[in-house]
Amino acid sequence: MADTRFPQATGTMGQPYRRYEALEKVNGSATYASDVKLAKTAHAYLLTSRIGRGVIRSLDLVEARAIPGVIEILTHQTVGESIRQTQALYTGGYVADSVRPLGSAEIAYWGQPIAMVLAESYEIAREAARKIGVSYDVSEPASSFDSAGVDMTALEPMNLGVGDFKAAYANAAVKIDARYSTPVQHHNAMELFATQCVWDGNRLTVYEPGQYLNNIKYGLAEQLGIDPELIRVVNPYVGGAFGAKGFLTQRTALVAIAARRIGRPVKLVATREQGFFLSAYRAETRHHVQLAADSTGRLIASSHEGWEVTSRADVLALGGNAITLRLYGCPNIEGRVNVAKTDRSTPGFMRGPGEVPYAFAFECALDELAYALKMDPVELRRVNDTKVEPIAGLPYTSRSLMQCFDAAGAAFGWAGKTAAPGSMRDGDWLLGWGCAAAFYPTQAGNSAARVRLSSDGRVHVSSAGHELGQGMYTMMAQVASEQLGVPIEHVTVSLGDTDLPPTIVAGGSAGTASLAPAIMSACDAIRRRLQTGGSPAADVMTAMRASGLGNIEEFAETRAHGLPPESVQGMYRGRVAMSGGVHLPDRVQLAFGAQFVEVRIHARTRELRVSRAVGAFAAGRIINPRTAHGQLVGGMIWGISSALHEQTEIDERNASYINANLADYLLPVNADIADVQAIMVPEEDNLVNAAGVKGVGEVGTVGMAAAIANAVYHATGKRLRDLPLRIEHVLEEV
Amino acid sequence: MQPFHYSRPVSLAETIVSGTQKHSRNAEATATFLAGGTTLIDLMKLDVMRPSHVVDLNSSAREFSAIRFDGSTLRLGAFAKMATVADHPDVISHFPVIAQSLSLAASAQLRNMATLGGNLLQRTRCAYFRDPSWAACNKRSPGSGCAAIGGVNRQHAVLGTSKHCIATYHGDFAQALMALDAAIMLIGPDGARSMPFASLHLQPGNTPHLETSLRPGEIITEILVPDGPWTRRSRYVKVRDRQSYEFAVASVAVALALEGSMVTDVRIALGGLATTPWRAVDAEDLLRGRRLNEASATEAARTAFAGAVAQAHNAFKISVGQSAIVRALLETAAMEAHRG
Amino acid sequence: MTDTRDICTSPSTPRRRFLIGSALTGAAPLIARSEPVAAAEPADTSDLRKPTSVDIHVNGRPFHLELDTRLTLLDALREEIGLTGAKKGCDHGQCGACTVLIDGRRELSCLTLAVSAQGRDVVTIEGLDGGGGDLHPMKQAFIDHDAFQCGYCTPGQILSAVSCVREGHAGSPEEIREYMSGNICRCAAYPNIVAAISQASEQMGE
Repeated sequence: MADTRFPQATGTMGQPYRRYEALEKVNGSATYASDVKLAKTAHAYLLTSRIGRGVIRSLDLVEARAIPGVIEILTHQTVGESIRQTQALYTGGYVADSVRPLGSAEIAYWGQPIAMVLAESYEIAREAARKIGVSYDVSEPASSFDSAGVDMTALEPMNLGVGDFKAAYANAAVKIDARYSTPVQHHNAMELFATQCVWDGNRLTVYEPGQYLNNIKYGLAEQLGIDPELIRVVNPYVGGAFGAKGFLTQRTALVAIAARRIGRPVKLVATREQGFFLSAYRAETRHHVQLAADSTGRLIASSHEGWEVTSRADVLALGGNAITLRLYGCPNIEGRVNVAKTDRSTPGFMRGPGEVPYAFAFECALDELAYALKMDPVELRRVNDTKVEPIAGLPYTSRSLMQCFDAAGAAFGWAGKTAAPGSMRDGDWLLGWGCAAAFYPTQAGNSAARVRLSSDGRVHVSSAGHELGQGMYTMMAQVASEQLGVPIEHVTVSLGDTDLPPTIVAGGSAGTASLAPAIMSACDAIRRRLQTGGSPAADVMTAMRASGLGNIEEFAETRAHGLPPESVQGMYRGRVAMSGGVHLPDRVQLAFGAQFVEVRIHARTRELRVSRAVGAFAAGRIINPRTAHGQLVGGMIWGISSALHEQTEIDERNASYINANLADYLLPVNADIADVQAIMVPEEDNLVNAAGVKGVGEVGTVGMAAAIANAVYHATGKRLRDLPLRIEHVLEEV
Repeated sequence: MQPFHYSRPVSLAETIVSGTQKHSRNAEATATFLAGGTTLIDLMKLDVMRPSHVVDLNSSAREFSAIRFDGSTLRLGAFAKMATVADHPDVISHFPVIAQSLSLAASAQLRNMATLGGNLLQRTRCAYFRDPSWAACNKRSPGSGCAAIGGVNRQHAVLGTSKHCIATYHGDFAQALMALDAAIMLIGPDGARSMPFASLHLQPGNTPHLETSLRPGEIITEILVPDGPWTRRSRYVKVRDRQSYEFAVASVAVALALEGSMVTDVRIALGGLATTPWRAVDAEDLLRGRRLNEASATEAARTAFAGAVAQAHNAFKISVGQSAIVRALLETAAMEAHRG
Repeated sequence: MTDTRDICTSPSTPRRRFLIGSALTGAAPLIARSEPVAAAEPADTSDLRKPTSVDIHVNGRPFHLELDTRLTLLDALREEIGLTGAKKGCDHGQCGACTVLIDGRRELSCLTLAVSAQGRDVVTIEGLDGGGGDLHPMKQAFIDHDAFQCGYCTPGQILSAVSCVREGHAGSPEEIREYMSGNICRCAAYPNIVAAISQASEQMGE
């Protein structure tokens, strides 16, 4: 298929190959965790807390146990200490939150698992779970920022600053002072949170979708107190993750223990509703942004303070202002982060975790500043473009922000914009145009890989890495194909198995940037074995035939720039060690982009739709423009969704989520998505990592909500600062 | 889901008999009819509905699935699938508001499954009704209270509410039937009867658990829609947060008979806004005999919400509902509506 | 608490006396409810747990199954028959991942009781190609246009897309978007899905 939207590339890397696993996926034969069929499986069903905070006074299991087909019921009374306390991911451990699964009678949040029924069938397990009588001592939960009993803490170590913000702001000619907020959101990958466990003697095999299978392996070993080498986690396909599957949730240890106790494989497929509580989520945030500029638009002072919600058990703060405040040149900067401890489950990482909410606030504020200056918002960004980040003066490894604005702006037709709000209309629809910057830190972790070259020219690549839909199989085949000069059809790839060489979490847009260098390194080693040295890859097969060897297999491990040598050991323990972005001592690494959108608002009934979106992104080397395009377009649609659709609604009376289903938690459907175009701006960055890859998983999402809110202002003259943007926010009286 | 007996009798009589005799000595036996299943199976999984006997009507009621238009009355079998009716040429050309209300509802798959009768009897989407762990729901448990009042109630009703229940009736098709003065045919233990569709749903009042005026064991068999000067010039406007596959924030069914710009007859029904399918009679009265324009449409729209009661999060629905009425009236007036 | 009263069948049927109770929890589709009466002793559910016989044709093959009446067609396909192409994404008819063709129409297997699929013809993604060995044009189009990422919703998308074309609802990108809105793709491959269906629509010649 000739496809002109992809930039030209020469080698195998850079070509828009079709997906390696495409046939399996269209045939329905790709095996997701819940598709694995094990003999004599018992089915599990979770019972979850229906209070937001308190203590279980009693559990009545009599009626549930009496149901024919019920095998066992796990509760805190029968699990208790048998799952050990382990550290949360954010403090160097493995688990999503520090509440131990069925560890005690304490209820920390609504939706917390309080029992697990094992039965001969799913239907029986579900029926029995609902027959369990639970009585609680109920306490008043703090559900969000404004609840009584919230523990609000300023995280001073996250303070940022340079110059004298207050003085500069006080004296500036043009200022913006605005507050923004973003809602609770849930990843809602289409695949449910499933886990299957089977023991063979003292060996445990786990089938579970994961962005980091070794995290499951080593974390589970710690929870169960067993040798990690007895655990194998297998998952060749993940049915979407987006940050929700990068750590151990409470379910895994429970399923493992259950399978051991009853001596049978156990299968759990949590319900969609339970998934809202089992894994992490994007917590609600609040922002205060103050910007000041001189009359030419040059920023004089910028401040971005954030407030984030976390749980009582864990302090997670994303602090996206560490990037927003480094996006543009500015001499006086101040940043602060605060967290509110609430009676909720621990939030986590959701596609563009800190970047999405913080970019919404900051890039909206910039638009407000542009209007205050009577300046085109693109020009405002151009005036403040910089080659060094403004706080420590570190250089960007590469920065193509304005190239992205120019490419996307041209494709969008931005020059045709009329400046005045409410000045564009198409029949019954008000039109508005808006734009915003996109950015995402370029990060990487340590990785290992094994590559085998056979004398028949076949190559096999293996890694414990993860296929989430980003195209990892395809991309890794391309890397090996190019490095060894073999046709891509001759490369096979194994992923998704902890028996294979470890790699980092497929998160933080770092999966490809971490694994590709390890494969390149293993291919290098093969070339060295064949003494082809620096000669072209095409010579590899000639040398291989000449060597008379049947096959050559090389294992390589690579350490990411900025990580200490001892971090390599962490990779062999399923730890998360990642470096990059704005956290390096010598440089700043970011991927950039620009988002342009057209919104339509019905003049009478005020439905809000995005009719057109153009994004341009520069993210270093693109190994596969086809899969990268999917990631970027998908990310942009996520951005549309985060602006217009998604909001998990909390009933503050018991800190419950009352729309924990896919009818009421709105994700965009096909009809919501009209014209979405992603442009890949060529960019070469040989510093970030050996592959030159910046990663495209998240940058496409960032900034989109701001572009949409800015477009809504252009359409209506209403500045909307709280997401999601809905009909009621753009209403006019009849 | 509770265990249940399943039967699929071949005749209607056998249906009810076979479903009940088995449990005649068991006082807790509860029987439920299964048609498309899109409400029932959903609510059984949630434990909101707990029948001990599911009587599948799909064999015995098949005869009630015909679609016929004889030039004066449209007869829709209650067991016709939503998708079939939505795509029927006579329905599209002569009763556009019916076709639109059906094709804007749910998804293609659900419309292939759900029957017209089942669609009319769909249960509310109130989150507190759908989760039995909320003790307070007067629909599920009379006298227990209403968790939605004082809860998250953006989607709840502003019309026809009581202090006992504010749950919205979310159906679309019902609004078209309200607007077109449809009647329904029933068969039940006491025989066949008919009733105006407008009499089917009951406002919550003091008894939110009583949702319809059907007698026990009664089945809707057919829907009768009279043709009239207003049916071709009819339209369904559905306002929602998502473009498709979502229940209405507000919806309006309008049928209009005009002489020039003079309204000779008008029917307005509202969805997503009220506890039952809702006819805006006062708004219609205001328009009859007047010219339809922005001003009169706006006045009618205000009238329609004279008795509205807003909750903490849904006051905007009054405004959206009014806008939707104006939009629907003016769009309907602009329709090419030839007698064909 | 239940409602129990004497009623009888309609005059058009033999007049036989019987009892019917209906759930206090409200009107099921097509059934009414009336006032509650006094509570009764707990039900004995043992006879409700006997498996029910079902014969279903799946992908042209007959299956005789003995099933719990509560089992959905989705779980019957996945757990009993071993066809895992249909996916569970919500189990409540809210996502479309479980879409299969039943008697040629796209329906949701998660809201279909397996017992009520008695005698019906079910086609899953595994049976879409027919016998020739060629990939169905819709599958090929999904590959050509990269109309998926994680692949989890893909079997449902493809079956829904085939129906969308056969129903005559693939006439324009706008129509495809509307008629494919019952299949949520969280990876958001929507633009590519629409392109794939446009391509396959021509090739399917329908």
